[in-house]
Amino acid sequence: MEAAVLAPSLKSIAPQQEYLLQGSILDAHRDVLLHRLRGLCDNAENSPESFNDYEAVYMLRNSSTTQQSQFVLFRVRHALDRPDAPAHIRYLGQAEVGDRGRHTLVRACLDVACSPNVRDFLMEMGFRLDHDYVAQGFFFHKGRMKVTVYKIFKLQQPGKTDQSNLEPLGSSHLVELSVVAPLGQEQIGDDMKNFAEQLKPLVSLEKVDHRRIQ
Amino acid sequence: MMQAPQTKEEKQLDSSLDDLIHRVRELKQSIASFIYKLENDYQNITWPSLMESFGVLSSGLSTTKRLLKTEKMPLLRNYVLFPILLSPDRDPHLEKLTEGRVLAFNHEVVPDYLRTKPEPEVEEKVQLLSVKASSITPEMAQKQLTMLNKITSNVLDLINASSDVLDKDSSQKNALPQTSSASETNMLIAAVTKGMRLRRPEPQVQMGGPQMPGMPGPPQPQQPAPQKPQMPGSGIGRMQSTVKTNIKAAASSHPYQRP
Amino acid sequence: MGVSCVYDYPVPDGRSGAQVVDVLQKQVETMGAYKTGNFHIDCETYQSVMLNSPKTLHILHNSEHPASCFAILDSGNTLVADTLFNGLMSNLKNYYQARKGAKIESKGQRYQLADFVLKIGSVSLAGSFKGILVEVEYSPSLVAMECWNLMKELLQSIVGNIAETPPQTLKPRMDETFTPTMAMLQYLEHFNNFRNKAAMSQPAR
Repeated sequence: MEAAVLAPSLKSIAPQQEYLLQGSILDAHRDVLLHRLRGLCDNAENSPESFNDYEAVYMLRNSSTTQQSQFVLFRVRHALDRPDAPAHIRYLGQAEVGDRGRHTLVRACLDVACSPNVRDFLMEMGFRLDHDYVAQGFFFHKGRMKVTVYKIFKLQQPGKTDQSNLEPLGSSHLVELSVVAPLGQEQIGDDMKNFAEQLKPLVSLEKVDHRRIQ
Repeated sequence: MMQAPQTKEEKQLDSSLDDLIHRVRELKQSIASFIYKLENDYQNITWPSLMESFGVLSSGLSTTKRLLKTEKMPLLRNYVLFPILLSPDRDPHLEKLTEGRVLAFNHEVVPDYLRTKPEPEVEEKVQLLSVKASSITPEMAQKQLTMLNKITSNVLDLINASSDVLDKDSSQKNALPQTSSASETNMLIAAVTKGMRLRRPEPQVQMGGPQMPGMPGPPQPQQPAPQKPQMPGSGIGRMQSTVKTNIKAAASSHPYQRP
Repeated sequence: MGVSCVYDYPVPDGRSGAQVVDVLQKQVETMGAYKTGNFHIDCETYQSVMLNSPKTLHILHNSEHPASCFAILDSGNTLVADTLFNGLMSNLKNYYQARKGAKIESKGQRYQLADFVLKIGSVSLAGSFKGILVEVEYSPSLVAMECWNLMKELLQSIVGNIAETPPQTLKPRMDETFTPTMAMLQYLEHFNNFRNKAAMSQPAR
């Protein structure tokens, strides 16, 4: 039945996986890291590309009591600094740590660009807003690797994304190194590990087991 | 009978000359290859390999020098080279021996090649300098010497001082590489993956039920949202252990204080 | 993309769908329209499971917009997304399940006639023929009100009097800028009608 659901053009789409390493940098040392990333990544001649995104995470939960613990999260994001860019929905699977031979976290990943009414649409589908935040920072790329250095802000008043309503979370920027690729391309992990080595000791990018984080 | 010792001496001379020629040839070859490298392969030359070539050359020179000083080497300065015949004609044998550098053994080249003293101008300069040196009184020399020592030691102090500062800088960098914090990392990851500390306290749908192990927990609206950031790593377990040891230490000290 | 109107062309008793399609095709060809390939519109319907209030979600694709996917809820609220949206739906399979045998599609020839695009599609529900949908698109305009009279003239010469008034779903939005979504809403309306007819005739059997 699964196959019948997909339009003929989609049957060939391979499921994408996100390979991920994470770390953080204290705010005071952010510029040193940006400087180093600028040297290491492509497009060194341009100043780092900044982003300012609002992300809202919507949850769909079974109303039957037996399956309360099951739910699906859709992460809806749009750029605050680029009003004409489309919104998009991101679905992320459970991050797998894997064995020692694997250098990165791996999780299913699906990015779907969509029209701006997505929030209302999801609510009508039965989703509800679980949490939201604003991410401000910089992004770099090297080949197909993507590096983001960003700060997370809480919204003091719901729904308002002006700078005055934002409250920074912690005193660090989150640093993420990721590649989205079809399943089974394990050598990406090696590339990512080598890249992460070059950021030490400034930032230590690791595969952080999400299940252990409290 | 008279001929025997002479032949022995001659033999020794021959063999030592052969040795010397051999050494010089080797030296010449390494110089030639070095020059070749510099001229033709300079793009690929690296600093370490350049230094290595210099090392080879200088060791070649010093072995040649040592060879000249060995016991077996007859005192070459006792031998006189006496040009019997100078000829303006081209000498193919000589040309071959010198690899085409000297074409003929004539009046022009002989003074240069058979020179045993420096050129007159050079000699003059040396003379001038030695006269100047001898004109300085020992006290003067001493004075100048101490002056130079003083300047040198001053410069040395300066260099040492700044190198200390540099070392300190780098050691400081090494000493506090605290550019990231594991607890912050965990807090931020928890926020982006599970929405921790990002949820609003307002009560929404009442949720309960068992949590699946390994799954992010459902939002707990009952819980007050501004939680105290609990630093992972500084667990409660460790706190307890310090208390325990303190009590133990106190208990063990008591019996001795009692009368 | 201009303004589109979609009409259900009735199939008279005693004639097969293929015959009627053939007549329609001949008709537009004599008007001077020429073929510009095939078109294909499909609709899959999902039903919510285990949710407090039951919901229906329709996922439509249109060969005119091959990289997009239209997700339409009962209220008419429409999300336009990448075709990858289907992948998202497969992650929701515990909450929304495809209704079995509800896949409905309209496909056929696409014609060009000056500024108009004509599409004559035969509708099939779960593989069996259900009717004919005729779509007329007037490319140069984006507001239905402004070109309705022009379209009406052409439409009436193809589908006859059923094109007396604008399509139901388009009526309240005649003065808005026309979007691809509006065309999809018209198709969905017709698809739902075909399904209801099929459902009504089924219990009698």
